[in-house]
Amino acid sequence: MRLFTILGIIFYTTVISLVGVIFILTAFNLLPLNLINLWSDYLHTNLQAKIVVGGIGLLLILISISFAELILGKIQREKTIAFNNPSGQVTISLSAVEDLIVRLLRSISDIKDVKPNVIATKKGIEIDLRISLRSETNIPELTMSLQDTLRNKIQEILGIEEPITIRVHVVKIISKEEKESSIKKEEPPIPFRGYGKI
Amino acid sequence: MDFPEAKMELGLVKIHKSVISSIASLAAMEVEGVKKIGKNNVFGELLKGKPYRNIKVIIDKNGEIKLNIPLIIKYGFNIPEVALQVQNNVRLALQNMVNLEAKEINIDIKGIERS
Repeated sequence: MRLFTILGIIFYTTVISLVGVIFILTAFNLLPLNLINLWSDYLHTNLQAKIVVGGIGLLLILISISFAELILGKIQREKTIAFNNPSGQVTISLSAVEDLIVRLLRSISDIKDVKPNVIATKKGIEIDLRISLRSETNIPELTMSLQDTLRNKIQEILGIEEPITIRVHVVKIISKEEKESSIKKEEPPIPFRGYGKI
Repeated sequence: MDFPEAKMELGLVKIHKSVISSIASLAAMEVEGVKKIGKNNVFGELLKGKPYRNIKVIIDKNGEIKLNIPLIIKYGFNIPEVALQVQNNVRLALQNMVNLEAKEINIDIKGIERS
């Protein structure tokens, strides 16, 4: 973790804790009312105090905005895979890779549902797959072939050579009855049933 | 600088950024494997309207042009190849139509065509 992030976390923890302490003290009447009045009177009458307090408020807002921008920018930067061409840079959004994985895995009949999560790190690409399977499938065989084909396909389509780690997490196994009932539910009603040609 | 300029005998010719983005949009759509320009969400499309508006054209102080093109790619196509073809096609189209040399043509693959 970078030093700036650590400092930011310490800063926010301190400020929010301080606000929390003030609220608790106020709730339990531990903060004398005359002290609050005295402080607000001082603020209203003294110009220097006004400038100082206003300045601190402005500084806090600016720090918050820059910290938020830093975090958001960092998240956005991390969410792409990039490579350079002679004409310019090509970035591939990780959501595009996720779309691609869904499209690739939908063609496998044993997989009912898939939810991928792709993370690009310095070591390579990490893919977490949460899949729902049909009950008849041999899980070790399927997951092994799935990992192999997915790795090859992604390397082929994206043209990347970085190592790809694929973690498969089977979240649900759909039984035959469940499958049949879902098929029955999906059957559309036949309109004008019972009518025939005379 | 907002517009690339060309001094002719009779006067100055200014080309609006939207002209550059329109040319880039049409050239990109010509490449096989490109589904559309922009993002994969309906809300963004409604806000942006025409696809060329998704292309960002940056002209720096020296008059050099940078383009950022967000793309949705059709399923089954090799992404680096499609990106390279788009870059070449856009570069050629800008050279032919407005005599402009783009310094950078950055491609941002936003998604794969959803079934």
